Amino acid sequence: MKELEDRLATYLRRKLGAPELTVASLSRIPGGASRETYRFRARYQGRDRGLILRRDPPSSLIETERTTEYRAYEAFHALGLPVPEPVALELDSAPLERPFFIMEEVENCQTGGIMSPDPYGVHRDKVGRQFFSVLGRIASVDPRDVGLADFEGESDIHDVAMHEVARWEKVIEEDEREPQPIARAAIRWLKRHPPPPAQKISVVHGDYRTGNFLVDDDGTIRAILDWEMAHLGDPLEDLGWAIDPLWCGGNVAFPGGMIARDAAIRIWEQTSGCKAEPQALYWWEIFASLKGAAIWISAAREYAEGRNIDPVNAFSGWFCLAFHNKVLADRLGEGA
Amino acid sequence: MNPEVGTILNLSLQKIASGVGDEGAAFAQGTVGLIGMMLNMSAKEYDRAADIRFAENNDIRALFSELAPGMEDAGLKAKLDDAAKSKDASLRISTLNENNYALRRLLTDVQICAENNGARDAQQRIWAVLKAMAARRLVTLGP
Repeated sequence: MKELEDRLATYLRRKLGAPELTVASLSRIPGGASRETYRFRARYQGRDRGLILRRDPPSSLIETERTTEYRAYEAFHALGLPVPEPVALELDSAPLERPFFIMEEVENCQTGGIMSPDPYGVHRDKVGRQFFSVLGRIASVDPRDVGLADFEGESDIHDVAMHEVARWEKVIEEDEREPQPIARAAIRWLKRHPPPPAQKISVVHGDYRTGNFLVDDDGTIRAILDWEMAHLGDPLEDLGWAIDPLWCGGNVAFPGGMIARDAAIRIWEQTSGCKAEPQALYWWEIFASLKGAAIWISAAREYAEGRNIDPVNAFSGWFCLAFHNKVLADRLGEGA
Repeated sequence: MNPEVGTILNLSLQKIASGVGDEGAAFAQGTVGLIGMMLNMSAKEYDRAADIRFAENNDIRALFSELAPGMEDAGLKAKLDDAAKSKDASLRISTLNENNYALRRLLTDVQICAENNGARDAQQRIWAVLKAMAARRLVTLGP
């Protein structure tokens, strides 16, 4: 850890033009299975600044682009949305062995646990209203207005849904270690029942959910995190993911363990300017559980083959995959 | 379940032995907590793993036995007949898995055939088996 601290200090002295800069209290923290996350303090020019280092791991859960995540932070921080201020992006492996980026630490906040049926306690209403309002604001932004029109993803409103299905079908094909009849059936269902064209193409966060944002003691959302899967797409994709049953301890009436589903959708519609037509949203909810299954299948493979033995990958391969298989089987089996 | 219990136990040991405390207390606490959760889940999986696979294999074979007479595709019908008569030669997880994977692959082939032919009754029976499979494999947390 001391060596990493020294190398980080050397990098930041040059990057920030602060030869007196020192780095202290570097420690790894949980958060984001696809990047190593560290907290540290940088002291320079009379400042004592809490910062976060996000470094590429030797092996990644899902191949994600750190440049994408950094650019999303830049764009949405500039718009005044609650995201941490980005500080530096480094694609050269020389300074810290692997590419990385640095952002401000949003201090004195907590994330909500996805296993809890009531992760925000007395603040659940306030947090829920902000959560779906911020998501709507993200959906309302034209990617071209914030310099993100070149993000990965499909920009044709007619093709965006099948583009995403193909993306995650490929992950399952490449990573499944045993036959997945439920996920395969879900893929076929998604292809046979295409949703209406997207109302617009927006920046999709890609992992907008309980556990991926920071809340202070007053119940104010201070930072939306983990933009590493951000891409262009149908804004309903994020809404479907945010209300997935996995993030609310299975209590689907209160997405994310916050506010009632109807209220959540109404707030999202008001702030995004889009409609969450039930049939289209249902398609994106099925897609969300399929996408989850693909991620967990991928995590299980990383773990089982020893490339990343972080136990969160084993947990994903067991608990989360079994959960999403059950959601898919119950929902699709109902309509068969 | 993938990875299997043996892999979880071996890699948990490897993770602990490699020094989870080297990267700071907060990260170590999170890692140890998750390892503990996986060990707890492994203990429960040890008890139920063979039963889940044995029951699932028999459910799928029974389904194939029901669907085979109505199957028009001769090649698929022959596969269903053979699979319906197959047995699990032992209760070793590796043996049960080998049979289970073959049965699950064939189940997908049959389901695709039923979907393409609009065979609603067959589709409903297949989904009933898939729902039971998902319910049986659901993982619970806690003691």
